Amino acid sequence: MIALAPYLLWIPLLPLLGALVLGTAGRRFGRSDVNVVACGTVAGALVLSLVAFVSVWHGRTLVWVLPWFSAGRIQVTAGLTADRLTVVLLLVVTGISLLIHVYSTGYMAGDPGYARFFSFLNLFVGAMAILVLADNLVLLFIGWEGVGLCSYLLIGFWYDDDAKATAGRKAFIVNRVGDFGFGLAVFGLLALYGSANFGALLRAATASPPSALLTHGIFAGLTIQGALTIIGLFFLLGVTGKSAQIPLYVWLPDAMAGPTPVSALIHAATMVTAGVYLICRISFLFALAPAAMLAVSLVGGITALFAALIAFAQNDIKKVLAYSTISQLGYMVMATGVGAFWAAILHLVTHACFKALLFLGSGSVIHGLHGEQDMRKMGGLRKRLPQTAFAFGVATVAITGVLPLSGFFSKDAILGLTLETGNRLYPWAPWTLYLLGSLAALGTAFYMWRLWAMTFEGAPRTEAAGAAHEAPPSMAWVDHALAFLSIVTLGLGLPLAGGAPLERWLAPVFSPAVHLLPGLILPRGEGVPWATYGVALALAWGGLAVAWALYVGAGRALPARFAGAFPGLYRLVANKFYIDELYASLIGRPLWGGSRLFWRLLDAGLVDTVLVRGTAATAQAFSRRVLKPFQDGDAQRYAAVMALSAFALLFWVLR
Amino acid sequence: MNGFPWLTLLVFLPTLGAICVALLPREEHGQQRAAGLFFMLATLAVALAVALRFDASPLAPEFQLQTFVPWVPSLGIGYHVGVDGIALALILLTAALGPLVVLSAYRAIKDRVKEFILSLLLLQTAMLGAFVSLDLVLFYVFWEAMLLPMVLLIGVWGSERRIWAAVKFFLYTMAGSLLMLIAILYLYFALPGPGGHTFDYLALLPRAPGLPLAAQRWLFLAFAVSFAIKVPMVPLHTWLPDAHTEAPAAGSVVLAGVLLKMGAFGFLRYAFPLFPDGALALRPLVTLLAVIGIVYGALMCLAQTDMKRLVAYSSVSHLGFVMLGLSALTVEGLTGGIYQMLNHGVSTGALFILVGILYERRHTRAMADYGGIAKAVPALAAVWMIVTLASVGLPGTNGFVGEFLILAGAWNSRLHAAPWVAAIGATGVILGAVYMLWMYQRVFLGPARPAAHPISDLSLREWIVLAPFLAAIGVMGVSPQPFLDRIEPAAQRLVDRLSVRHAGEVGTPPPSVLRGDLVAPPLPSRRPPRLTPELLRRLRQHRHPPR
Repeated sequence: MIALAPYLLWIPLLPLLGALVLGTAGRRFGRSDVNVVACGTVAGALVLSLVAFVSVWHGRTLVWVLPWFSAGRIQVTAGLTADRLTVVLLLVVTGISLLIHVYSTGYMAGDPGYARFFSFLNLFVGAMAILVLADNLVLLFIGWEGVGLCSYLLIGFWYDDDAKATAGRKAFIVNRVGDFGFGLAVFGLLALYGSANFGALLRAATASPPSALLTHGIFAGLTIQGALTIIGLFFLLGVTGKSAQIPLYVWLPDAMAGPTPVSALIHAATMVTAGVYLICRISFLFALAPAAMLAVSLVGGITALFAALIAFAQNDIKKVLAYSTISQLGYMVMATGVGAFWAAILHLVTHACFKALLFLGSGSVIHGLHGEQDMRKMGGLRKRLPQTAFAFGVATVAITGVLPLSGFFSKDAILGLTLETGNRLYPWAPWTLYLLGSLAALGTAFYMWRLWAMTFEGAPRTEAAGAAHEAPPSMAWVDHALAFLSIVTLGLGLPLAGGAPLERWLAPVFSPAVHLLPGLILPRGEGVPWATYGVALALAWGGLAVAWALYVGAGRALPARFAGAFPGLYRLVANKFYIDELYASLIGRPLWGGSRLFWRLLDAGLVDTVLVRGTAATAQAFSRRVLKPFQDGDAQRYAAVMALSAFALLFWVLR
Repeated sequence: MNGFPWLTLLVFLPTLGAICVALLPREEHGQQRAAGLFFMLATLAVALAVALRFDASPLAPEFQLQTFVPWVPSLGIGYHVGVDGIALALILLTAALGPLVVLSAYRAIKDRVKEFILSLLLLQTAMLGAFVSLDLVLFYVFWEAMLLPMVLLIGVWGSERRIWAAVKFFLYTMAGSLLMLIAILYLYFALPGPGGHTFDYLALLPRAPGLPLAAQRWLFLAFAVSFAIKVPMVPLHTWLPDAHTEAPAAGSVVLAGVLLKMGAFGFLRYAFPLFPDGALALRPLVTLLAVIGIVYGALMCLAQTDMKRLVAYSSVSHLGFVMLGLSALTVEGLTGGIYQMLNHGVSTGALFILVGILYERRHTRAMADYGGIAKAVPALAAVWMIVTLASVGLPGTNGFVGEFLILAGAWNSRLHAAPWVAAIGATGVILGAVYMLWMYQRVFLGPARPAAHPISDLSLREWIVLAPFLAAIGVMGVSPQPFLDRIEPAAQRLVDRLSVRHAGEVGTPPPSVLRGDLVAPPLPSRRPPRLTPELLRRLRQHRHPPR
């Protein structure tokens, strides 16, 4: 049932108004006023999201449409819609945002840019709400680039550090490369179906057979499937930008320059999952393009493993978590690529809780150590920061899956479905993806327990670590709330008869896609997949055991010896496979150098000197050499020319 | 036909102002500025009145508020003015920038204030006149009349290399104008009507497309070169960086805000509709240069160290977008291109004012002389950020709507290799972010640098100048439809006009998957229908059926 719900508008509008108030008048506010405006507006958005959730629970789909712009055949509305997928995302976004707002009141206390920080954070919540509520791709793009803007502003929040400002700029520009793909995909859909509205696209996609040959328009000569494959690959480029996948993931590790609450909210829990949400939102289009689906799943799977590998050799606690985020996002993207859309959303939800917690926990650690982020200078913090350690421990258990907390079920749902989906076109794909995912799971367990061991176990390695102090209550409270959520969200993924609760909740949203998938997906087997559970548990414990042995137990000397034995390999991994350097030399330097060269050679050289001044010089030379002799005051020559001309004229006339 | 002469009032009110200012005593700078501001505001009021009287319904006549007075009847020259949606949009932009330009120069211009205000007012008359002219000679007169005040603005109140820049600007533009003059004379002699020879645009409009292709090609080329210099299109652009860099901030604002639009306007009003065959034959060239301009202009920005020169080159890139939208010859592309002309006027105008504000404080335009000033000038930093975002086309700002329509219109057009053209053009959006954010970081972010001059935040007067720009960025981004409603019929008319002879080469191809519930019923193949309210209603209904 469709229901008009004007209040949907207020979900993004409240935080946006908060951002406006704080941005313009915030400097004159006291800290508590800022808290009221910032947290109050987000809390309001959360309440409205709950109202929407209840309404959707009762079987309604909420809509509210405003005009935006139209020209020619293009009509773009500012339409908001809330279905079962939207409300899940809305609750995650507003809920986690509220928690992190509260945490930030403690973390950012005393920062001179307090009001500015919350203004940006509110702007982010508003943009993210637009992103998930939009009923068409163009409006979604407002949110999509809006969250990117907030990311830019918040990464470079401490802008007097040039490195941080550069990290922010890098994030914006790399995301722009992705947005380029997003934009072209939208143009493609406009040319193919004449609309960018999800409802219209769904009707069109289900109504025309994918093998139909297109006879006119831009895509003439292709089948609908072919056109959608191209469009899907462009969308994938957009996803790799926003959700930090290969090849555009490079901005996310640098994004850790921002304040830690920002890393937790934007660069772990919410914004970076926008790409996953996008694929799920247009799942019915991807379902028609199996090749694009395969590309999506491979990008996700390879990213999951690749990022986990890099995390092995990082010593900055936030960098480890950043690569962990890239890796976990890889799982989600992989899941969408094999058609396990609900599993991607499940992992999105659980990951939002435990990864936000991991970042906030690391924030408490960094806060307690007065800004120290190098794990080599930590150790033994379990005794110094018991509350933080407890919450962090819950999250670590959840992400590695050594015990069946939320992460265990969500990750296993993805791995299991990867294997269970048959793929008629690419029979090698399921096994390959399962292997990639399982190795990444092993890696996850290793690098996370390595992080745990280096930070919380053993003896303090520096004085600062020995004198670390616990975080203020507002921060600890939020840690515990998130730990609670990391545990209870396991309920969403419980493999009950008839499917996991979230699977059943989202089934109506994804049923068109599942129906459209041309024989790609086999029906899910009945019963609990004990085999994959067993493998997953074994991998998790294996990773833990290795990490424990190498960083707590008897093998503590081994990592250093290993690095000494294979210095090249170690440097390769520690330096992140030199991907940043590769991009700099392949794209960055040629671009800057080329533009300078162009400017000197072409603009100042060829056009300005040769053409413009050349024309002037030619004209000058012509007048000096050819015209000047005719008027240099030599009367005899004048007379001669006059006489000759007169004769010539006479001759011509009388001829 | 001759009701109250609103347009005549609009065009000559600044001239009246110039006369008044001329009568003021030389040393009374305050009075001269106040009078200049007053007449600019009065002109803006008249422009708003014109906008209110303009009938935007799709069935309204094309040229409205016309006035015709014979001027030199024996030669077929008339004082004929009128306004269509495109001209209206540009008139509003011109009139709105006028007072802001005067206000922005209150502190920057201290000598020869009287002549400065005079130049601005006369320039205003010339620009408005060029937009409303419906007679080729009248247009040419106004077109040339723009040149002198602008050359003076650069040459008298500019910075160190002002003379060189002014002469370069003058020669470049003159060269183009002469070609146009020859073409105008050819039209006059080649197309006699029942009433004898005429320069009247509306009389020539139905006749000129009948010229043979060879003639059309040359005529289009002559007009196009003249307009392309003004736009400016690569490789005729090198006057622009010099002119912008040397001109005073106020001059740059007018130059970027309005004068450049004159070139694109010329394509829309004269080159395309008068010579459809020539235009279609040479369209690949125009498109190619437009796309090259987008990328090339952006690359040039990356090589700059001078803020003003960077903004100038960014204009080359932005106007490349505009020309891409126009040469797509689809309703979407044209509408977006015209809208982007307004957006560029707003965002680049604001950028030049902002650079001027910094220059007033530190007397340097080199980015290397700044750095880390955001702490000292938070308000200026915030405003600059917003304008930067508008310039890079962030969704929600005005720039996005224009760029989106241009690229979508170019992608789904009948240009050769249309998607590739649009895709290459779209890389300009990436590069735009690269150079604009790079400039922002170099000027505002990073550690604060010790400097000889103290730097102060925005004054009240500067806020008053900048507030309308910020408002325009927001309003035109969130609610662009009132503007588009006036632009779109004009774009549709141009497409209709060209499709009379070139049905398969212009306009938007229908979606590849044609289905009744998605788009309007298949359009007649010969000639897309004019957008009537009935069709509009049907389109909306089909596009967004109730769920």
